[in-house]
Amino acid sequence: MSVASMSMWCRASCRASSLSLLVGGSTGPLLGGIHNNALVRTLSSSSASAAATPAAAAAVAPEEPPPVEVFVNGESVQVPKGVSVMQACDAAGVDVPRFCYHQRLSIAGNCRMCLVEVTKSPKPVASCAMPIMPGMQIHTETPLVKKAREGVMEFLLANHPLDCPICDQGGECDLQDMSMAYGSDRGRFVEEKRAVEDKNLGPLVKTVMTRCIHCTRCVRFATEVAGVHDLGVTGRGGSAEIGTYLEKALTSEMSGNVIDLCPVGALTSKPYAFTARSWELRPTESVDATDGIGASIRVDARGHEVMRIVPRLNESVNEEWIGDRGRFSYDGLRRQRLDAPYVRGEKGAPLRKATWKDALEAAAHGLRSTPSTKLMAVAGKLADAESICALKDLMAMYDGQNLQVEGVTPSSDAADVRSSYVFNSTLERIEEADAILLVGTDLRKEAPLLNSRLRRSAVYDCVPVASVGPDVDLTYPKKDLGDSAKAIDDLLSGASAFRAVLDGASKPAIIVGAHVLSRPDAYGVLSKCVQLANDVGCVSGDWNGYNVLHECAGRVAALDLGFVPGPKADVATAPGFVYLMNADDEATLASIPEDAFVVYQGHHGDAGAARANVVLPGAAYTEKGATYVNTEGRVQRTKRAVPPPGSAREDWEVVRALSEVAGLALPYDDVDGLRVRMAEVSPTFASVDSVQQSTIWLNGSTYAASKGSSKASTAPFTSSISNYFQADVIGRSSKTMARCVETRGEMYAKTHDVGSTLGELGEPSAHPLGD
Amino acid sequence: MASKLALNAAVSELRFVLCQSSPSSAGTREFVSKSYEAIKKANPRLPVLIREAAGAEPSLFVRTAPQGVEKRLSLANLNAADVKKALESLAK
Repeated sequence: MSVASMSMWCRASCRASSLSLLVGGSTGPLLGGIHNNALVRTLSSSSASAAATPAAAAAVAPEEPPPVEVFVNGESVQVPKGVSVMQACDAAGVDVPRFCYHQRLSIAGNCRMCLVEVTKSPKPVASCAMPIMPGMQIHTETPLVKKAREGVMEFLLANHPLDCPICDQGGECDLQDMSMAYGSDRGRFVEEKRAVEDKNLGPLVKTVMTRCIHCTRCVRFATEVAGVHDLGVTGRGGSAEIGTYLEKALTSEMSGNVIDLCPVGALTSKPYAFTARSWELRPTESVDATDGIGASIRVDARGHEVMRIVPRLNESVNEEWIGDRGRFSYDGLRRQRLDAPYVRGEKGAPLRKATWKDALEAAAHGLRSTPSTKLMAVAGKLADAESICALKDLMAMYDGQNLQVEGVTPSSDAADVRSSYVFNSTLERIEEADAILLVGTDLRKEAPLLNSRLRRSAVYDCVPVASVGPDVDLTYPKKDLGDSAKAIDDLLSGASAFRAVLDGASKPAIIVGAHVLSRPDAYGVLSKCVQLANDVGCVSGDWNGYNVLHECAGRVAALDLGFVPGPKADVATAPGFVYLMNADDEATLASIPEDAFVVYQGHHGDAGAARANVVLPGAAYTEKGATYVNTEGRVQRTKRAVPPPGSAREDWEVVRALSEVAGLALPYDDVDGLRVRMAEVSPTFASVDSVQQSTIWLNGSTYAASKGSSKASTAPFTSSISNYFQADVIGRSSKTMARCVETRGEMYAKTHDVGSTLGELGEPSAHPLGD
Repeated sequence: MASKLALNAAVSELRFVLCQSSPSSAGTREFVSKSYEAIKKANPRLPVLIREAAGAEPSLFVRTAPQGVEKRLSLANLNAADVKKALESLAK
C-alpha cells in the first residue's frame, strides 16, 4: 500500500488502521534505538496475529492506546501515540526530505534535512526525532522551513564533489534529487573543498568517501541489523570520517545493504562500478533463488545481461535486505554457462557439442534401455518446481521410483507430512518466539536474513537462544549446548539447564538445520527433535515452533511434490540411469557408480555436467518464469529478466521434449497446464506468494511407524554450508564471490596468524571443466 | 487394524489433499490424523503425502505402477469411515 493511499484510509478509519500505519507503509519506528525496534516488533507481531484470527485481534485491541490527532499543514490526521512528527507527515501524505532517517534503523537526527515548523516552537525542529503531542500544528511548506532546508543543503553541497556525471549513484541519488528542490543554482563557498581518503571495505562495497554526508546509516545498519561492529565515525566536525578504524573488509553476510542505504554515492557496488547507468536498466521483479529464504529482488538487466540485483520490500520475507550471495553472485550467471547440449560419445571420451535432437535421443535411449529398478532421478538445490514436477511424472511413466532430493537422506517418509519439513512458524512470526533452540545450523551462512531477525529477538527482546551444533559467532549471545545428538538427549531428559528455559517459554521454537536432513542418522536426530518439540510445547494452538531451515531454493518444492523414493525403489541397487536436475553436490555424485548413464540438466558447467554422459542446458533463475518454494513453504514465482544463453531452454520444456522423444509424452503442452498439474499434486502451488499453513502435525508418528533406525550417532553437527559465498554453482562461477573468499581468507590468516590464506572458508572450488 | 490397511503392492503413492479448516474436509482430516500411522505401519515404504491448502477440495489420489496412472476420488463431506472405504476401493 502506498503512503498516500494508506493515509487516506488512515484518516477515514483512524482506530482500526493505527496499527497498520506503523507496519504497512514506509512509516516506521520512532523513538530511537532499542525502544524503536521493540515497538515496531510489538506492533507488527500483533497485527500479524490479528490478521490470523479475529479472536486474537479482540485480545490485542484493549492494549492499543487511543490515536492522537495532529494537524499537518492544517489538515487533521490521526496517528498512534508516540510516533514522530515525520511519521505523522508521512501518514498525512506530506513528503519530508530526509537523509539520515531510515525506518528500520535507530534515529540519529544528524542530517537536519527534515526540519519542519511546529507552532509555538521558536526554531524549526528535526521531525524524525521529535515525538508528536496531541493537537500539534505542523507546517512543512512555510518560508522558514524552505529557508532552513536550503541552508542545510548548501552546507551539504559545500563539501560534496560535483562528480555526478561519473558517480554510480547518479540518477538514483537522494542528494541529487533534493538539490533539485532545495539546492541553489550558484555556490557561495570559495574555500577549498574537503577531501577524504577512500576506504577499502573489501570486494563488495566501493567507497568514495569525499561524497559522504555523514548520515551514519551504514554505521547504524552494521551495528544494529547486521550485528558487526565494523563501521564507525572517527574525528569531529570537519574531520569526521566514516570508516573501519583499521583497514578491513566488512565481515557481514549482508554487507551489500549499506549500498542501498547510502543516500549518496559514498558507498556503491564495487562489481557494478561504471558498468551501467540506472536509467538504462530494465527492471524485473523476481525472487532470489540462491538460498532458502527466497528474498524478493529486482533484477536490473541491460540487453541480455543481468547488470545488478537489488532487494524489493517484502515484510514477510526479507524486509528490505538481501544477502551478499543473492546480491553479488550475478556475475556467475555469465560464466561457465551451458549454452548448448553436449553428448559424451563413449566412456572416457570428452563431452562434445551436439544438437538438441541428438542429445535428447541419447538421453531417451538411456532412459528406455534401463530397467525401471535401475532408474534414478535427483532434484538438485537450484531446481524449480515446474521441472521437478515434470521429471517426477516422467519417471512415473517409466516406473522409476528411485527419486531423491539433493541434501536429504533418501526415505519414502521424508515428504509425508508437510509440517515435518518446512519452517512452520514462518519467518515473520519467528520473532514472536520467546526461547529458541538451533540444531545443526550456522544461520549466518545458511540464512543471514533470518539471522538478523533472530538477532533482533535475542538482543532487543532478550530472547534466550541456544545452539546444538557448530560453535560460531552469530552476532548475538547464544548458549552452546554441545555439537552432537547427546545434547538433544540431555534436553529430552532434562539434564540440560536450557530445558527449563524451553519449558517456561510460551512460544518455544526449534530450528533444525538442513545439515540434519542429510545425515545418515537423519531419522534418529529428527525424531528426537520432534519429540523435544512435543515435550516443550512447541506446537499448540496456532503456534508451531518446529522449524526446518532449508539452505537452498529447490528442496521444499521437491518435497512438496513428493520427490521421494517409492515402495519399489531400492536405494541400495546401483542405478544404471541417473537424471540429475541441477544436482551438483559432491555427495550426490559420489553415490553414482562409474558405469551409470548420467543425464545432467542445468545451467552451469560444474561438477554435475563434468560427470554426465548427456548435458541438457537449462535456464538460471533470472532467465525463466519458474516457481520456487522457500523454507516456510511460500510459493513464489520468478520472472524472466534476460533470455537463457545460446540454445538453452526453460527447464520444464526440456523434460517435456525428452518425454516426447522417449515415446511417452507428458500430458501438458504449456506451462499453465503444468501448473494445474502441480496444484493437483500439491494444492499449495495454487496460491502464489502466500504460505499455506500445515496444521496436521501427527506428533512425529512418521518416525514411530518408520522402519528407519531411530538411533543417532555421535558425529558432530556442522552447517550444511561450509562456504557461504560459493554454496551453489552460480556462486562457484562468480569472480566476485571468489574475491570474497580470498578476502575472508586473508583476514582469517591475519587474525589467526596462520600460513594459509584461505583458512576460514577452505580452498575455492576448482572448475571441473576449467575456465 | 493395521493388516486391514495393507494396500495393493502396485500402489506407488498415496496423496491426501485437504483444506485446513473447511467442514467438507473434516472427515478426511480425522481419518488422516488417526490412521496415518496404521497406513504407514502396514505399508512402510509407501509415500503417504498429506497436503493442505485453503479451499482445496478434499481428495484422494492413488498412483499405481508400472505406468504411473493416477486415480482421483473426491472425499468432500465424507466422514472418516467413508474415507477409509474410499481408500480401500481405490487402493486395495
